[in-house]
Amino acid sequence: MTRVTHVVIGGGLNGLVAAALLARAGKSVCLLEQSPTLGGMAAPGPDGSARMAHLLYNLSPRVARDLGFAGGRWPLSMTELPSVSLSPEGAHVVVRGARATLADGTPHAQAAAFATLHGRLTRWGALLRHLAEAAPPGGLDGGALSMQGLRQMIRLGRVGLGLRGMGKPEMRAFLQALLSNAHDLILDELVDGPLAGLLAADAVRGAAAGPRSPGTVFSLIYRMGHGGAASVPKGGMGALIDAVAGVARAAGARVETGAKVARILVEGDRVTGVETETGETIGAKAVLVSPGAQVACALAGHRHFDIEATNRLRGIRARGTAAKINLTLDGTPEIPGLPADLLGARLVLAPSTEAVELAFNPSKYRRMSDAPVIEAVMPGLTDDGQPKAHLSAIVQYAPHDLEGGWSDAARDRLLKITLDRLAQVAPGLPARVTAAEVITPDRIAGETGVPGGHWHHAEMALDQLLALRPANGIGRYALGPKGLFLCGASAHPGGDLMGLAGLNAARAALEAAS
Amino acid sequence: MALSSSYDAIIVGAGHNGLTAGAYLARAGRKVLIVEKNDWIGGAAVSRSLHPGWTYSNCSYVCSLLRREIVRDLDLPAHGLQVIPYEGGATFTKDGDYFAYYSDHDALRREMARHSPRDADAYARYSQAVLRQCRFIRPFLLRDAPDPASLRPRDLGEMAYLVRKAHGLGRKELGETMRFWTMSIGDFLDQHFENDLIKAHLAGSGIIGTGLGVYSPGTAYVLLHHYMGDIDGGIGAWGFARGGMGAISAAMGRAFEAAGGTILTGAGLDRFLVRDGRVTGVALEDGREFRAPVVASNMDVKRTFLTHLDASDLPEDFRRAVGRFKIRGSSAKLNIALDRMPEFPAAPPHASFLRGDMHVSTSLWELERAYDDWKAGRWSDAPYIDMLIPSQIDPTMAPVGGHMMTVFVQYAPYDLEADGVRSGANWTDEKRAALADKVIGRIEIACPDIRDRIRHVEVRTPLDIEREVGLTEGNIFQGELTFDQLFFNRPVPGWSQYDSPVKGLYLCGSSAHPGGGVMGAPGANAARAILRDTGGSGRMKGYAA
Amino acid sequence: MSITHDPRLALIPGPVHDRLTAQSRKLGWYGWAGYAAPSVLDSVEFEYFAMRNQAALFDVSPMHKYRIRGPQADAMLNRMMCRDIGKIREGRVGYTIWCDEEGFLIDDGTLFHLGADDWRLCCQEPMLAWLQDAAWGFDVAIEDESHAVAGLSLQGPTSFAVLEAAGLGQPDQKPFDLRRVEDDLMISRTGFTGDLGYELWTPWAQAGALWDRLWAAGAHLGLRAIGYEAMNIARIEAGFVTAGVDFQPIHGTERLHRGLTPFEMSMDWLVDFDKGHFNGRRALLAKRRSPRSRLLKVDVEGFKPARDALVYHNRRREVGHVTSAVWSPTAKRNIALAHVATPYADRVPGNLWAEIYTAEEGRWDRRMARLTPLKTAFFRPDRARATPPARH
Repeated sequence: MTRVTHVVIGGGLNGLVAAALLARAGKSVCLLEQSPTLGGMAAPGPDGSARMAHLLYNLSPRVARDLGFAGGRWPLSMTELPSVSLSPEGAHVVVRGARATLADGTPHAQAAAFATLHGRLTRWGALLRHLAEAAPPGGLDGGALSMQGLRQMIRLGRVGLGLRGMGKPEMRAFLQALLSNAHDLILDELVDGPLAGLLAADAVRGAAAGPRSPGTVFSLIYRMGHGGAASVPKGGMGALIDAVAGVARAAGARVETGAKVARILVEGDRVTGVETETGETIGAKAVLVSPGAQVACALAGHRHFDIEATNRLRGIRARGTAAKINLTLDGTPEIPGLPADLLGARLVLAPSTEAVELAFNPSKYRRMSDAPVIEAVMPGLTDDGQPKAHLSAIVQYAPHDLEGGWSDAARDRLLKITLDRLAQVAPGLPARVTAAEVITPDRIAGETGVPGGHWHHAEMALDQLLALRPANGIGRYALGPKGLFLCGASAHPGGDLMGLAGLNAARAALEAAS
Repeated sequence: MALSSSYDAIIVGAGHNGLTAGAYLARAGRKVLIVEKNDWIGGAAVSRSLHPGWTYSNCSYVCSLLRREIVRDLDLPAHGLQVIPYEGGATFTKDGDYFAYYSDHDALRREMARHSPRDADAYARYSQAVLRQCRFIRPFLLRDAPDPASLRPRDLGEMAYLVRKAHGLGRKELGETMRFWTMSIGDFLDQHFENDLIKAHLAGSGIIGTGLGVYSPGTAYVLLHHYMGDIDGGIGAWGFARGGMGAISAAMGRAFEAAGGTILTGAGLDRFLVRDGRVTGVALEDGREFRAPVVASNMDVKRTFLTHLDASDLPEDFRRAVGRFKIRGSSAKLNIALDRMPEFPAAPPHASFLRGDMHVSTSLWELERAYDDWKAGRWSDAPYIDMLIPSQIDPTMAPVGGHMMTVFVQYAPYDLEADGVRSGANWTDEKRAALADKVIGRIEIACPDIRDRIRHVEVRTPLDIEREVGLTEGNIFQGELTFDQLFFNRPVPGWSQYDSPVKGLYLCGSSAHPGGGVMGAPGANAARAILRDTGGSGRMKGYAA
Repeated sequence: MSITHDPRLALIPGPVHDRLTAQSRKLGWYGWAGYAAPSVLDSVEFEYFAMRNQAALFDVSPMHKYRIRGPQADAMLNRMMCRDIGKIREGRVGYTIWCDEEGFLIDDGTLFHLGADDWRLCCQEPMLAWLQDAAWGFDVAIEDESHAVAGLSLQGPTSFAVLEAAGLGQPDQKPFDLRRVEDDLMISRTGFTGDLGYELWTPWAQAGALWDRLWAAGAHLGLRAIGYEAMNIARIEAGFVTAGVDFQPIHGTERLHRGLTPFEMSMDWLVDFDKGHFNGRRALLAKRRSPRSRLLKVDVEGFKPARDALVYHNRRREVGHVTSAVWSPTAKRNIALAHVATPYADRVPGNLWAEIYTAEEGRWDRRMARLTPLKTAFFRPDRARATPPARH
């Protein structure tokens, strides 16, 4: 039997971050990834393309610092992409940071209002980041005077000071907007159209929510923690995963792929290790689980959890609504009205806030959108290492629990709907498709183990955020028997490829060990 | 009536909150005038006789939220108020079955078990969870909402109270409370129950009057808003005011007058008089002016500040914030005079639940779809209806043998869509009739003979409610009850304590904390704020102080 | 106005309602889980003495009964219950309690080990939803047998003789033994009286026939039908607790912090920390050393039952309240169960007093009565445990 101090289940970004940090803290760590490839939602496809997640916009510099990268910076060459909100009428909107123009370079009529709103969201995002970079507030386990308690007070104090620093009016606006819905926040400032639609789409990406759903402003602000600009790393998502895996391995962590855990071993209300499906037993004092609390519970056995705890696990909303469609193209499609140099931008098809809400409607009833919201990139056009034309699209809404199930016919239908939708702005596109891969939420669930195939592992709604993420009582990474922790996006602060859930979880595990 | 030209305080609008505020001020010795645009008092708590012999509670129609402290302070029973609880309710299905809600514990258990044995058991934990939230929230209703951006002692004190109460819950319960306040009623019910019909029956309270669907986060709170009242200590119980909801306003009016106050009806407001940032009185549509250093508006926040004040009298950011306040019409109402009791073929003879609230929506998804229609500017194809026949319990509402039926309808938009344009002006008589036909078609699920029983129908679209009562968009709560518009955010951040940028001008209606419903709390709280701010001889006395 | 009589409201008859109606002279009914149950049939006093001196028959059918079956039934129940149910062998019955995640008592009940992977839980509170929650993730099936299985409780010194006369006697049946004596009849040597007694379990529709059989058998053995009030005296004498009276089941509390831990119920012996995880274990480990109060059995000075009395330390400081109190006609003592705050509950000898209000012929009086905590039940006769049992 192998013996380590910490086992990490799941080799996505958060799992890798947790493993690397634990190893760097001197722990003996073994990371087990069930699939043949590391990366989870950020795993590269066989050709190096982005299989699922395709953009970075919230990668935490703090994680880079704690991982010990030189200069405290991610060792990635990042290309920041402008965002283009495509309009079926042809008046595409280009957004670079806080600046909104039309595709022909003329200023957008609401550029000023957008800049103000963008500035506000970004300032608020920076504030929420303080909360994201640590375990959520609310649990003073060791009392207010413990180190943990002190740290938490300092952090909250910082948020409080940040709030105060805003001045009263903005602080009040923040406390109101935080609980509001994207539809109202956006349309209070902007006329509905592609620019508003872009923000609305960003507020609900991966969510089982529409812009009118209260709480969607919170997700939008979260997303703006680092300004909200999307980037692609040179070498694709694989470069990010390799970098973190490299740190883990260098620090002595054993990182294994194709290693599926059959069960988490528990004795005397304490985790003692894991057993893999091949029968190998790995002894450990702590096990960190990335795919989610439901998975942790099933692996360890329900009897080690309180009944209320399992009830809450069952109640975690993780209904994936985002599908990923990867198209191989035989050439660059044209988008009328969009200059060729912008074809490499982040292309969003969300013509209005109302359109996003309308796309959401059918998903409530377990049907796919007729006119889905799409975020696409054509990485082959931006990364000179990848000459092949490729379109990577996140398509919403495609509910995990589709009525009738995700048959091949259903997947074909989603593909057709998506192509039809894209053809509205790029009429030549469908003819250029030589191959298509449709990764619906059921497949995401199957490949990554994530419940519901949810883009963020669990719905980012107000009742599942901060200390309530993923559920009341397990908001601080530990759950069930001693030594069991969550370390994935279902834990605070959630998805978006931040790496912070892994960082916070590693800290919680280290604190528990000391 | 001897009118004076100046008063200590003038209240604009004789709704139940205006009357409550007026009564408290008058009881504190202030000379108070209430001006009301209609020829009757009551706002949305009225009893109207629109068909000879029948009385309609033609806006609000049932009573529970009215704070017991206010009832006692103003001694409303001595002024004629009598509230009688009703016995249960039911949701009828299209296939001739029903789910009945009984206030009798055993009957309810057996009825739930008929649909789902598990849910019959689960109900105890569900009501425990809701009642715990009720107990938590009730003390806040008659307190000021603190401004978290303020360091004034009062705000810090109220904030400390909030923190103490939250801390007292313990960690687990605090978590459950935070969840409850942020989740949807659909998710909350899914967490407790398995049966669609039971869930649909219980979900109605989560959407009444609200521009949200059963699966919109925040609707669990809306349910709580309907549960946090009580009748004689029975938390969550609802009842009828004998004589209709106007009996509440009438009793309040008498309490106000008994304390020396003056009510002037048929006196629509033209504008608030303001000089140097301070209110000096009101000018009426008929040209009369009255002076007072304090004016409290029972109108909603938009009407108060955007319609009856010069833009120059308000800071721009305040006007913008008021402009952004969400006050969306989402409900309509039918009031029906029946020649006799209609048949309910599904119900057993003498079923007690016919004397309660009746519905015909049978699943959460049906309710959610009803919301989708509203979002698109249509009334729901299958609207939720909350239907009662109060004349079974209240003998004053209809002639002997005849009955009065009140039917609340969710959802009906204010800004109806027609030819691509959304506007309240689209509510033509034809549309009004079509809505009524739709609703009566829904009633037919429960009582197929309803059309033969009808002697008179009053149809009230959001536009009608706005025109008559003055509620913007016909929103029954004077503003959405979403968490960005509750507590310290109500009506707008920084102004949650009834005062306004115009010195001496106060809000005393449901746009202010703690929001809508025939509760009286905003009125009582506003009176307390006015007395505190204006010092002098007046101090509010009573349980609500 | 319509006629306002809804036949669906209120109480419904249980399986032996007609037999009880025939015996009911006082027409005193109360609601027990929705069924009309007798609070008294003719007189509390003589019903009580029948139970303590001869034999009494009491319908316990309204109790909730659940069947738990399946390969993981033992594991599922052990995770739910505070005690180690592995110690309840097949053919045995065990008293058990279960808690929520905070370690607060949900209910108590008896667990019947019917066979391999086959159990029945019998309890006062509805528990189907909770059992289903507890069963999630386990290979078990939960069935609500509350309205399928009827129960008759036969208690008292001649109860064995009555069984024998009915052809149902099992002389070697020990306390807490469970026997299937006929296809549709199981008998457990259990009860709520602390005396010799049996509970008979049969399909709902056959309860009437069983009642008649026992009734005939008991004709010369002093058998009497009794109501709840007589039973209640006996259970207090035996030191047994009742949900909703001596503790508030946590699932029924609206007010926070009203739950009680097993330690606060003085039920330490029903909690086994060594058996592995069970619901509330983590919380109970933290709370075991710090009970806020204790449930005490107390002897009350004087002769007036201390019903609803507040408890004081040193006659001044309010430290608790009486939950159940009665004059014990058998022990000839004034007895009570009382919740007393720590540390006062643990101080020996306690300086505890009950404040008793009395109303005698229109005159109210208040008196302070000294309380003397006792370790054992007020009434615990040897005949309750003797096997084979005596016939009188």
